[in-house]
Amino acid sequence: MIHPLPSSWCLLILVSVAMVAGWALLSPPPVQQHGEISKPLILNWIGSYFRMRWPLLVLKLVMVGLFLLVIFSGLYGTPIPQRNLATELTWNIWWAGLIVSVFFLGSAWCAVCPWQTIASWLLRLSAMGSGKGGSGSLNLPVPALLRGVWPALLLLVVLTWLELGYGITANPYVTALLAMLMLMMTTASHALFERKAFCRHFCPVGRTIGVYAQLAPVALRHIDAEVCNHCTTLECYHGSSEVEPCPTGLVMKNLQENTYCISCGNCVRSCPESNIAWQLRPMSQEACRNARPRLDEAWFMLVLLALAALHGMTMLPIWETWVRQLGGWLGGGSQLLWGFSAGLFFTVLFTVIIYAGLVAFTAALNRGGVGFGRLFVGMAFITLPLAFTYHIAHNLSHLFRENNIHQWLLHPFGLEHGNPLAVRHMAMVSADTNTVLFALQAGLIVVGFWLSMMILRYRGEKLRIDRGWRLAPLCLFALLVTSLHVWLLSQPMMMRF
Amino acid sequence: MEPPCPPSHPKNALEVGLPRIYPEFCKRLIRLLLGVLALLLPCVLAVPPALAHHVMGRPSYKLNEDSNTPPSMQVETQIGNYSVTYMVFPAFPRPNAFGRINLYAVRIDNGKPFQGKVRFLVRDDSWFRSSEEVIGEQPVDDNVFRQGFIFRHAGDYIITASFEADGQPYTIDFPLRIGQPSRIGIIGIVVGFIIVLLLVVNITQRRRLLNAKVREAQIKRHE
Repeated sequence: MIHPLPSSWCLLILVSVAMVAGWALLSPPPVQQHGEISKPLILNWIGSYFRMRWPLLVLKLVMVGLFLLVIFSGLYGTPIPQRNLATELTWNIWWAGLIVSVFFLGSAWCAVCPWQTIASWLLRLSAMGSGKGGSGSLNLPVPALLRGVWPALLLLVVLTWLELGYGITANPYVTALLAMLMLMMTTASHALFERKAFCRHFCPVGRTIGVYAQLAPVALRHIDAEVCNHCTTLECYHGSSEVEPCPTGLVMKNLQENTYCISCGNCVRSCPESNIAWQLRPMSQEACRNARPRLDEAWFMLVLLALAALHGMTMLPIWETWVRQLGGWLGGGSQLLWGFSAGLFFTVLFTVIIYAGLVAFTAALNRGGVGFGRLFVGMAFITLPLAFTYHIAHNLSHLFRENNIHQWLLHPFGLEHGNPLAVRHMAMVSADTNTVLFALQAGLIVVGFWLSMMILRYRGEKLRIDRGWRLAPLCLFALLVTSLHVWLLSQPMMMRF
Repeated sequence: MEPPCPPSHPKNALEVGLPRIYPEFCKRLIRLLLGVLALLLPCVLAVPPALAHHVMGRPSYKLNEDSNTPPSMQVETQIGNYSVTYMVFPAFPRPNAFGRINLYAVRIDNGKPFQGKVRFLVRDDSWFRSSEEVIGEQPVDDNVFRQGFIFRHAGDYIITASFEADGQPYTIDFPLRIGQPSRIGIIGIVVGFIIVLLLVVNITQRRRLLNAKVREAQIKRHE
């Protein structure tokens, strides 16, 4: 059982949030700014490393090695999840740490993603045998039905069902199977479709990172807009004789969203003017101003918000009782999986219904303004910081309180324990670390709400909602979600295994 | 003026730090030890032989009395009001060989062992799993529920232990591996799939390139 957030911290969060809400509704509307406010990263040597191939190659090799280790330890190692590297590395370290990494590094994970790397290598190997001019891929266009992030959204729901419902996190063997399934899907997609369609349209991990990376303080962008405006060759998009084109088909001249950038650095290496670099920027910039609202991405953000909360709910001690009762009402007996599936469905449904209802209320308050559809899509950005910061706050508990990294590095298969009766003991967290964790979690929730209000004000102004109080229904939505997150953090959390 | 040398200053290193052993002292010491042993002997003989060693209320010896090997696994988990310990014997369960599951459930609040009956079920832990089979229902035996088994095939199985306590149903799943199940099948499927896929793409591309070359040659001939 993990220590819950103390009530004093909860009170502090709620008071801060109420003050921010008051400011958002009562202060004059913000002045719209256009273009990007960003500056080249102070540590410019990072950019120079990106121009070289070997640092990225080394990182890719490490990730591929770990990925293969996960598969082998999952297949051949102990079935006890807390002793097997496959479950520990995948779910307690990687999956929990991935979201935290977005906060600092944006979509950097995608640059070293092992299943994408292995699939690309296999295709390159295959291309060698297909004669001159062969790329190893059929380069078919992605069917219209599969474009956007709808397939990734569906796979994310499936992944969450497997993770929290089926209990894949406690099953090393199925974890290894999932890793191999990801590899098969990526290879198939790369072999059939043009560019890296899997990364852009299908990958649930990549799209989650991409959506969250809209709030990342770092991004790959052009240094001088004028240089890009005069560029006619577009090496970033087409590639050069030595560097492959952008895997997700982005043109740096127009790029204002992190969503589809996988940080591979091809644009950095191919630009003849060396005009692409990592940039520092305000966290809210993209979600407030630059990101273009799209229906599929709006749905992705809403479902992500629901699933982030579901992660917290499933780890409450009372969750099992709820799920059992829900399963009973639905005629599935005491089968937990039935109840869980229904719980997942209703969590997503309730989130969307409450959001849609409050958007409709906002539309009604602004008669003559934009309609429900544009508000629904445009205002979905307010959910992004709420989901992101809660997700990080929740994952911090996993990272700090569930890990015992050295044990799995020494015994990845979990079979080499000197004492076969040894039972793993959870890493004990000192009182000081707990206080730091509580402060971080509280700070994250307040920052998330503040960013959400910033986005609400800017997007409201863009959608011609001139008075702050007319945004009150959506402010209420953010307050409800934040209150739920605070409540979840204040509950004792069950360990995964 | 030089300080006088102490009269007892040792001349030989062997004299430094070594005790002098007196034969009288040794005799007294042996007599004392024999006396103590003589006093203790009746106490040792009067104590009954230990049948079980209880550590924190858990009969540790009894758990593996039927096996001279350590368990292949030990899992401790909490469910509802109970803390459950699960062990599998022998250390490496094999197909067509006798094995045993030992289960011990104790209330978390007062440490009282569960005294009802526990039902053991088994199912195949494979992707296309078979239906569940009942292995047996066991009454408590010295606070431990013992369930014997013989599996015909190697593989990964899930053992479900279920019991009812305080009017609530309790169901716990534990993994059980018999023998060394072949994993080459799964890896074979994945590698096979990828190889077939890449071959099909490769052949299609070759045909495309060939067609393009033929078309190009035809255009040139017409020109």
